[in-house]
Amino acid sequence: MRNFRFFLATLLALSPCLAFVPPSARADDTTIVFGAALAATGRDAREGALTKEGYDFWKDYVNSHGGLKVAGKTYKVDILYADDETNPQTSARLVEKFISQDHVNFILGPYGSATSATTAQVVERLKVPMVESNGAAESIFSHGYKYTFAVLSPARRYLEGVIQMALTLKPTPKSVAVVYANDAFSTEVAQGAANYAFSRRMQVVYNNKYPADTTDVSGIVSAIKASNPDIILNGGHLQDALLLQKGLKEQNVLAKAYAYSVGPDTPDFRKALGSDANYVLGGTQWSATAKYKGAPGFIQTSQEYAKAFAAKYGHEPDYHNAESSAGCLAFQYAIQNAGSLDPAKVRDALAALDVVTFYGLLKFDSRGINVYKPMAVNQIQNGALVTVWPSAVANAKPMYPAPDWSKR
Amino acid sequence: MELILQTLVNGILAGGILAVVALGFSLVWGIMNIINLAHGAFVMLGAYLAYVLFSAYHIDPFASVPIAFVVMFAFGYLIQRFVINFVVRAPILTTFLLTFGLSLLIVNVALLVFHGDAKAVTTVYSGSNFSIGPIVVPWVKLWTLIVALGITAAMQLFLGRTREGRAIRAMALDIGAAQLSGVRVARLYAIVFGLGAGLAGAAGVLLSLSYPLNPSMGDPFIIKAFVVCVLGGLGSVEGALVGGIVYGIIEAFGSQFISTGLPDAIALVVLLFVLIVRPTGIMGKATA
Repeated sequence: MRNFRFFLATLLALSPCLAFVPPSARADDTTIVFGAALAATGRDAREGALTKEGYDFWKDYVNSHGGLKVAGKTYKVDILYADDETNPQTSARLVEKFISQDHVNFILGPYGSATSATTAQVVERLKVPMVESNGAAESIFSHGYKYTFAVLSPARRYLEGVIQMALTLKPTPKSVAVVYANDAFSTEVAQGAANYAFSRRMQVVYNNKYPADTTDVSGIVSAIKASNPDIILNGGHLQDALLLQKGLKEQNVLAKAYAYSVGPDTPDFRKALGSDANYVLGGTQWSATAKYKGAPGFIQTSQEYAKAFAAKYGHEPDYHNAESSAGCLAFQYAIQNAGSLDPAKVRDALAALDVVTFYGLLKFDSRGINVYKPMAVNQIQNGALVTVWPSAVANAKPMYPAPDWSKR
Repeated sequence: MELILQTLVNGILAGGILAVVALGFSLVWGIMNIINLAHGAFVMLGAYLAYVLFSAYHIDPFASVPIAFVVMFAFGYLIQRFVINFVVRAPILTTFLLTFGLSLLIVNVALLVFHGDAKAVTTVYSGSNFSIGPIVVPWVKLWTLIVALGITAAMQLFLGRTREGRAIRAMALDIGAAQLSGVRVARLYAIVFGLGAGLAGAAGVLLSLSYPLNPSMGDPFIIKAFVVCVLGGLGSVEGALVGGIVYGIIEAFGSQFISTGLPDAIALVVLLFVLIVRPTGIMGKATA
């Protein structure tokens, strides 16, 4: 499987060489063509590959199920890809080319907040709708754009669910400590969580950041311990999540709950920490155990999606895969609702979209961001990842409070 | 008060490992005048060696320290002999570029072999600790410090008491005179570089116990090693130890009581101050 992934990455890396071949698919009478500038090289190459899998999964599903019916006519779907090299400027340039030279019908978003922000400007100017699945920073949506939509819950909501859930449990937590990496996404996550905790009358006893490439968090851990919080919330990345969780054990910091924005979802986290990962909570855009019952037209449940995806790609889907397929799905329903391929009509249909899918509710606020879909909360229980909140989609009860470190 | 004492303990424990990371860097820089930018990559290799030995053969990381030292010594020896030796007398920028390229190469090969996902060495005793009153001391970090002290003492003995060690010190003082007295410079250079790499490997093993592994994990340690060397005094064994512990304490107190976002900046300000007051570093001796 590893080799396969490497093969895929190599293939992706070589794909820019193919960009000079005239694209096989062009918008014509029988095909709806999407353009997607995705990182195949550079820092986000791996996430870019996950996004592409999610897009391709949807494309192949639709084509193998007879295509899309729009106003009585059946269309195949196709996606043009190009490598944006994890560079926001390149991403914008490629999207411009997709629209003005390749005459694609619609744009699927790139990977990441920075690239989504630059491409949003382009689609706004050229008035072609874009659905993006991988840029959670709310700053993208503060410009009054009309043509960009995100299926993601915004960053500030990543850890809200953890607080909501904990407040329903006994003993009721009264205080939180918030600690986060010094970057835009993590800061939005942490400040969103801190504000939410405050609004629920909890005390924020510690609120501090650390450098994104930190090598030692023992000082922060000591300070958190001294502030004696009921819940410890981290906005950050896998690397610092691991460092922090190890550090908390080393100094024997006992809280009732521990939650991370990034980390618990990845198998790496569980493998690296063993039993010390148990009881850890994490916010997630999507989970394979969620119990949504989607509208017809695509795979309707998370479980079936996970199964079909694993059968096709040889690995379990993570939330990047799922949210990317969901982005395509937003287009599918909007195009069918609009009954037309006219960009303005599809845009209006996207703005009015209100549909439950395997991924959860797809509905956009006036800015174009999906604030309606709750973040689910996952927990690691006995080495396995389960969904514990919201209770409507949960497949396990939360384990709370966390016991002594030696009993996990 | 408790927080101050705990911070002091955190700082000393973190400093021990920085000392070992910096020791090899300091030797190579002080004696060969090479700022080895591949040092972080060597540290990373040591950490992955510990990971492989631990996960595949269940060898305890502390037992891997000598293994990593020997393996990385051989690696460093060969690299000096067959790569760096060709440009060792070239201006410092040349070796700078060469070691930078070497670092890129090693990191990317590691990326191919181990992939980018984070790994960790989690032993049964990971995270266990004991308390002295309100102060918590993690066992792993304490043992890491003890091993770091042991390694430093061993290096000191090697350089002070053995024939090779004395020759190396002679070479650092005056390479021409050393050569005239029959010191085989090429061989000793290879030994010094090997020692640097070996120490980096040992440091990587110790780091793997408390720090998550990924192929670029060594990068942040290069700048730290740089500061520790200059702080403690270049090319001096006890300087690296003192520099490492001082750096660890500054970083701990800085992030605790000034700003958690700026530990590196605070350490660099202190470095600047030390350089003004004592340009040769805390333990450094004035040279001609």
